[in-house]
Amino acid sequence: MTSEPVSPDPVVVVTAVVHAYGGKPALRGVDLRLHPGEIYALLGPNGAGKTTLIRAICGRIRPDGGTVLLKGRDPARVPAARAGLGLVPQEIALYPNLTVAENIETFAALADVPRAGLAAAVRRALELTRTVDRAHVPVKHLSGGYKRRANIAAAIVHEPSLLILDEPTVGVDLDAREAVDTVIRGLRDLGVAVLMTTHDLDQAGALADRVGFLRDGQLVLEGRPKALIAEAFGERMEIQVHLAEEIDAAGESRLAAEGLERTGRPTVWTRLDADGYAVAGRLDKRLREAGLTPREVRVREPSLANLFTLVADRKLAA
Amino acid sequence: MTLDFGRGALWKIAAMVRVMALDLWRDRGALLMTFLLPPLVFLIFSSVFAGTTGDDIQLKLAVADTARTPDSGRLMAALVASPEVRAERAPTADEVRRRVKAGQADAGLVIRADPASADKPFLIVADPSRAVAAPLAQARVQQVLANALPDVTLRRTVTQLEPALGGFTDEQIENADSAAALMRQTPTHDDGGFFEREAIKNAKTGGGVIAYYAGAVMILFALFSAMQGALGLMDEQSTGVADRLLAGTAGMGPVVSGKFLFLIGQGVVQALLIFATAQIVYGVAVVQHAALWLPTTLAASACAAGVALGLVSVCRTRDQAQMLSTFVILVLAAVGGSMVPRFLMPPWLQAAGWFTPHAWTIEAYQAILWRDAGIGAVYKAWCVLTAVGLLGLALAHVLARRIRR
Repeated sequence: MTSEPVSPDPVVVVTAVVHAYGGKPALRGVDLRLHPGEIYALLGPNGAGKTTLIRAICGRIRPDGGTVLLKGRDPARVPAARAGLGLVPQEIALYPNLTVAENIETFAALADVPRAGLAAAVRRALELTRTVDRAHVPVKHLSGGYKRRANIAAAIVHEPSLLILDEPTVGVDLDAREAVDTVIRGLRDLGVAVLMTTHDLDQAGALADRVGFLRDGQLVLEGRPKALIAEAFGERMEIQVHLAEEIDAAGESRLAAEGLERTGRPTVWTRLDADGYAVAGRLDKRLREAGLTPREVRVREPSLANLFTLVADRKLAA
Repeated sequence: MTLDFGRGALWKIAAMVRVMALDLWRDRGALLMTFLLPPLVFLIFSSVFAGTTGDDIQLKLAVADTARTPDSGRLMAALVASPEVRAERAPTADEVRRRVKAGQADAGLVIRADPASADKPFLIVADPSRAVAAPLAQARVQQVLANALPDVTLRRTVTQLEPALGGFTDEQIENADSAAALMRQTPTHDDGGFFEREAIKNAKTGGGVIAYYAGAVMILFALFSAMQGALGLMDEQSTGVADRLLAGTAGMGPVVSGKFLFLIGQGVVQALLIFATAQIVYGVAVVQHAALWLPTTLAASACAAGVALGLVSVCRTRDQAQMLSTFVILVLAAVGGSMVPRFLMPPWLQAAGWFTPHAWTIEAYQAILWRDAGIGAVYKAWCVLTAVGLLGLALAHVLARRIRR
């Protein structure tokens, strides 16, 4: 299932990493390789081990077993190994009373950017994140989208080879997400290896070159999103039934008898079928006859969300 | 912990000092709190305590004249006219008692017999919780009597002497009456007492209590503001700045060191404002003692910065740090003498004060500014304050490594 791009020089190599907190395993033999110019989305439910893996890659924890290497060096033991690493935390990790440029200057100084090249480095970070027009605005006065991009700017000012983004678009609107995605793609095109965690599966599907599913501390699935979806679902399409209102137990039994499963929303039910449109038509008719009039029946290609559900619900073998 | 004080490390520390300075500069509320409040509080404290020497106290006295003789009326009028005391007429003795009890008057006076009579003509009414009010009221009344009614004093003395001398002749009585009449017309303003007062030569106009409170308010606010600044460490953890830095090569070392240096600078500026006020308003000779004042100020500021950073680093959450810092600021200030002068404290509390930076700071400033002491009197305080500050800084550096985990 895995189809990694061929590159002789990975930026990150995680090999058989094991780690536990107080006897409770958080990572159980994780392998991961990330190459320059690649976007990798790490997916998984809360508690799957994403944060622990990120902390291990950032050198914040020394794994109980296995190795983490950034360009061949252990980030937990060799501080210089972290010089090529940029982290974009989930929160806006900036000083709110300082302007965007002042924040970037500060983090540039802390990341050992030479004084002579500081102004150029700040300018480059502003341009790459498309925040030049807000360079002299205090961060606290920025919109959500600009804050997110400024958050990235502070992490790339020292031109890292690996950029780690923790939930980069949480809490922002669609336009702002698009802008952040554009910035991330731009960095990828410059050869930066991007590792991101996200709960936004649409974003992961659209942005990532590869995704990896973590479940209970194990990387159970990894590969290119389209290939993974094709392999898991083949020719099947997703049929979504949207009901006008919540239904009683009898109605639920009726929907289940049609092979539909309830999603996270009680009025939305779904099933997968190879002959999507024909099945949807017949299904709509039968449900109307049974008095369960759907508000809408959608037929669409399966997405990472469907795959995620399968993995999280253990309906797909690792 | 990065203790590599190479140029790179200094550059990083300077970047963090700049962050703190810009942050404070753009938070106008915090700026006012940091630099306007200390001189203001100093002025309030010094205005209150500068008066406790006694000369400036204008006692509020409720006076009832129940004797209603010509001389008692004269005394009442003299009291009301006197600038030494704020006398207010009361109709009855009970009204005097009521006013004193209600706190409307500091003390009360009932003129219950003619002032020249041999009995005890005056009754002083005082609240035991204001111990100083009774003797002060007595002294003020005697002062007014001596100044405005010297004839009455003479007649009272004559009346008291008469039994001892076996009576006066008519001529003697006549002479005494003429002398009294003359005194009544041209008072000599002699209180007839035993005491003459001599002011110490070259006495300082500033007063010891002013130097005391300048130091007390300086260390109080240095610690208070340092705590506020050090709480930024918690913000850096909650906003992910710490995560960002720990993922790089810098770590939290420059953040801690940068805060330490900034807080020292902040403490020095606060001290400058407080002591400038002390010099301008009260004439405390600060500029003349600048050579010793500056190291004292640097040591006290370093102590406040180190203690604040160490304490905040011990805490896991901002709430915890906020609570601990409030507790520590108040307790240290109370024990160390920033609120109430140390010389008013019981000996055991004065001894306990030496475990606070406040006592060391206050004593050092007093030694320099009030007693004109040399370096020999203050070097110990410098060492103690600096050592405590550096210990706090070291603790903050060690605990900052804990965040890595």
